Parts: sequence; C-alpha cells; structure tokens
Amino acid sequence: MRLALAFALLAATGAAWAEEPPPAVLGVQDCLACHGDPDLSITLGSGETQSLHVDAAAYARSVHGSALNCTACHPGFAEPPHPTVNTANRAEFRAAFRGVCKTCHLENDRKAHDGVHWQLLAAGDTRAPFCADCHGAHAIAAPARPRARISQTCAQCHPAVVAAYRASVHGRALLDGNPDVPACTDCHRAHDIKDPRQRAWLLETPQLCGKCHGDPKLAAKYGMSPNVLQTYLADFHGMTASLHGRKHADGARFTALCVDCHGVHDIRRVKDPESTVIRANLVKTCRKCHEGAGEAFPAAWLSHYEPSPTKAPLVYGVRIFYRAFIPFVIGGLVLQMGLHLRRHWKAR
Amino acid sequence: MSTSASSVVRFSRRARVEHVAVMSLFVVLALTGFPQKFFPDPWAQAMVGAMGGIDRVRWLHRAAGLLFACLLAVHLGGAAWPTLRRRARLSLVPEGKDFQDAAAMLRFQLGTEAQPPVFDRFDYRQKFEYWGLVLGGAVMVATGFLLLFPLAATAFVSGQLVPVAKVAHSNEGLMAFLVVVTWHIFNAHLSPEAFPGDSSIFTGRIARERLRHEHPLEYARIMEGRALEPLAGSPWWSVLLAPIRGAMLVMYLPGLGFVIVGRHLARRAWRGLSSFRRARAPEPAEKAESGEPPASAA
Repeated sequence: MRLALAFALLAATGAAWAEEPPPAVLGVQDCLACHGDPDLSITLGSGETQSLHVDAAAYARSVHGSALNCTACHPGFAEPPHPTVNTANRAEFRAAFRGVCKTCHLENDRKAHDGVHWQLLAAGDTRAPFCADCHGAHAIAAPARPRARISQTCAQCHPAVVAAYRASVHGRALLDGNPDVPACTDCHRAHDIKDPRQRAWLLETPQLCGKCHGDPKLAAKYGMSPNVLQTYLADFHGMTASLHGRKHADGARFTALCVDCHGVHDIRRVKDPESTVIRANLVKTCRKCHEGAGEAFPAAWLSHYEPSPTKAPLVYGVRIFYRAFIPFVIGGLVLQMGLHLRRHWKAR
Repeated sequence: MSTSASSVVRFSRRARVEHVAVMSLFVVLALTGFPQKFFPDPWAQAMVGAMGGIDRVRWLHRAAGLLFACLLAVHLGGAAWPTLRRRARLSLVPEGKDFQDAAAMLRFQLGTEAQPPVFDRFDYRQKFEYWGLVLGGAVMVATGFLLLFPLAATAFVSGQLVPVAKVAHSNEGLMAFLVVVTWHIFNAHLSPEAFPGDSSIFTGRIARERLRHEHPLEYARIMEGRALEPLAGSPWWSVLLAPIRGAMLVMYLPGLGFVIVGRHLARRAWRGLSSFRRARAPEPAEKAESGEPPASAA
C-alpha cells in the first residue's frame, strides 16, 4: 500500500522530477507514503478538520526540498506511531509548529518577535501570521523572487492595502519588474515589522523615504529632485518632526510627514493629475490639517524647491540681501569698535 | 529737571521700565528663537530639550513675541503722542549733526582730527542702536505675525510671503543679536569709557561728571536751564519722517566705517607707494621739488 502510493506520486509528478531530480533526502519518501495522501487528515477538538497532506512535488521544489528531511522540522515524528498533538483548534495546531524555524533561522525569529505580528499573536489575535503563514510550510520558495511575490504574500491578509499599492507609482513599477521601487518589506521590513501607527515609526518616515529619495543616483535616473528630504527637514513641518522626538501620544496629529501630503500606499507621481500634491489638488491636501486654508496658502510651501531667481525669487532675494547685509552691518560696526580701542591704546 | 549735587535725572521711570522689559524679552526671544533657527545642531536640540520640548519653546517664543509687539506699540505711541501734541521733541531722531559726528569721530580715531565731536542728549551710536532696535523690531513683529497666522495672512497676501517672512525673521533676529552682543555690549559695557557699565538706564540717574563728559551739550543746556526745543510749527507728518531718518542712520553708519577706514588705508598705501617710488626711481619734477639727490646718479 505504502509502496503503491509512492509510485503513484512518482508517476504524477514524473515530469517535474525528470527535469531536475532532487538529491534523495533520506526518509522523505517514507513519510510521503502516508502524508502524500491528499485525504490524510485529523479532526481537532473543535471539530475542525486539519489536513496532514504534504505536496511532494511542491516540497521537492522548495528551498528545503533538496536539503532537509521531514524530521529536521518535525523531530520526534520519525517513526509511527507519532506522538499525540493535543490541539483544540487550527490556531493551536499552527502555534504548535511556531518554534520550529528558529532551529536554523534564529536571527529572523528574534526579529519577528519584535514585530507587530508577534505582538498581536501574544495578545491573543490568532489571525496574525508567523513564519509559515507568510513563507509557507512545505512549499517554501525564495520570498522575494520575483520581488512582486512580496506584495502577493502580504495581500493574503492586507488585500485593500496591496490593491492601493499596486495602483501607485511604486506598485505599478514593481509589477513591471523595476528593481528600484520599494516593495512592502522595503518600508515595513520583513520580520521586525513595526506598527505603522506608532509615533516612533512615523517619525522615521522622512528618513525612510529619504533612503531612496535622497539618493542622487536614483534622482538622476528618474529625473527627481535629490533635495526633497533636506528641503522638507529645513521647513516648518520637517523641523517639527525632527524636534518632536517621541513626546506626543501615538495618533495625535502634530506635523505633516511625507505620507500626510503624498499618501501612503496610493502615492502617485507628483505630475499625475490625481496626485494629492499637484497644484490643482494641493489646497485640498493642506486643508486636511489647515482648515480654512485659502487658495494662496499652498504657495507658503515651496514644494521642495530651493529658493532661486526662478523659483520663489522673493525668498531668494531676501536671503541674498541678508547674506550681504549682516556682514555689512556687523563688519562696519566691528571696524569702528576696533578703531575706538586702537585710539584708546594709542592715547595711553 | 531735577538735579542734585552729584547726579542728574536722565531717564524717566517709563523709559527705565521699557528698557528692562525689552531687555528681558530680548533674552527670552533669543533663547527660544535660536534653537529654532539652528535646530539641526546638537546644541539647539539640547536647548530645546532643556526648555521642555519644541512645543513649549514655541509657546514661549510666541508669548514673548506678542509682548514685544505690545511693548513696541506702547513705546511708539508714547513717543509719538506728546510729539504730535507739540509737547516734546524726539531726542533720538537723527539729525545732520549725527551724520557729521560719526565721520568726525572716525577721523579723530584715525588721528586726522584733533578733537572728538561733542554730543547732546544722545550720541550717534545710541541713536543708531535705538533705530536698529525699533526698525528691526518692526520687521520682527510684522514677519512674526505673518508666521504666527499664515492662514489669516494668506487670505490677503501672496503665499510666498510666508517663506519670505521666515527668511527675514530668522536673519533679522540673528542680526539684532549680533548688533547687541557687539555694538551695545561694547558701547555700554566694554568700551574703556563705559567699563564696567553705565547704570543710568536702570537707576534713572547719571553722575554729573559723566554727563558733562559724555553729553556736554546737554549738560550745558541743563546748566543754563534750557530744554530741547519742541517741534513748534512743524507739521504733524514730521513724526513720520523720524523712522526714515532712523533708517538712513542705520544704513549710513556701518558703511561709513568701511568708507573712512578704506579711504584711510588707501591714502596710506598710496603714500607708501609714492615714497617707495621716490626712493627707487625719482622723476625729474620730484627731484626738483624735493631737492633730493638723484638715486640713479650713483
């Protein structure tokens, strides 16, 4: 019976195996004799059915397929009869395997314990994912190959966010295979994901966006200004963000960060007619915080431009005036003070 | 004019109170303003932290700024009202003599004039500082209000004036600070004549000797029992000319330093150069004039 099942599987997946026969990993075939059966399942205490089937072909293709046998992750399950796993429901069943990955992936496991998903799990939210929920259990593939895979993974639980992201300037480019745009994990990180509503994380967003938008090479490649971060930080909003530290309670609105004007997942090209920061829409964006702002108000912000004779000539002029006027006044006065002292010492 | 044997009343109670008020507000505004101007620097962040965070720093700065605006209004009103009613004369308004005094003083200091100029109630340095404070204060108040109420302001003016106001406020503040720490601290404390300081703006009284020495024209008037002549007969709008004259002095005095010192140095350089030339290769005309033996004769 066992042998027959194994042969059947071999036949079914023969095509894949014929191309690239995986090195025989000791013992996998023995386990598949039972776990290769798509109908193999147990009934949990809650009455839920938990499948115990392992897709042999998917496992063979997975990153572990050529290196690990089953007992590497399921120690103690080498021989039947297997130890009894007492789990009341599927959530508990999944939880029972959570400690497995850290045997090899200790660093990422540690990071994941700093992440928001673990906080939710620890708080009893069983919907929150841990290793296998994102990476898969047996069909583990390289998580970022292709990079668009990352957003597919997150979309399992965050479909609305990913849909907005896919329509954004970053998301569309990612789907086109552009290697320069951020996927979910480039901003949120993969394992130590922070709660994005937290003040501490929000305050880091200018630096986060600045990683790419302050890079002169990327700016040149895409015709963007490399000064957006520095011009933001030099103005009132950026100064407030820099000086605020972490004093305010989470959630209290205190200054505009990059995402408050440009959007978060639905960021558009600034020239896009639907962009929140294009001139036609800008006053509406300002009014999110500055209620009652008039049509002239958005010009108070120089749109990340450095004042120059063509952009904001008045600001530029006043700046140049003081650059000359301060040394003129102070220099002229210091000169006279020097003469005063010189005369005094000469007279003595 | 109340006088005693050793001292004379120089400042009214009102002037003394205004001085203490502007001095305190200036310190608060500088302490809360510069950390905002230089916020990326570690010292600025440390100061913001020490004062209890940026929100409190801003609150303090705005409160002090509003008080400063009130003080400026009260001061200008107090100065203009009696003048308009022809009861007093603005003793701080620059006159032709102040412009001449400044040049004369520099010539004296350079040694081309034998005697320093003599001053009336306020000398040109004091008038310069007064008008620097009043005009600079007006710039600070106007730009400060624009920055404090950008929504209301942009209902009436172009939005670009907000960043203009920020640049002006920030630079004008820096300049005011630099003028105070150089010109005022020097003239009121560190200069050999003033050291360690003139307390008359706090006590209201000046030593008779000091007055006679520093403000001989005023001293003479007081001795003769004459007051400053009021603006009798001049039209009401003459008050409006006062800030214009003030602005002229504010622009004139620093430039004068460069011009007079520059001219002095140029003359010396020219003189040095020509004597050097005379020594090396004298021209026939000069030979005859100076009577020196020709250097080339050897």
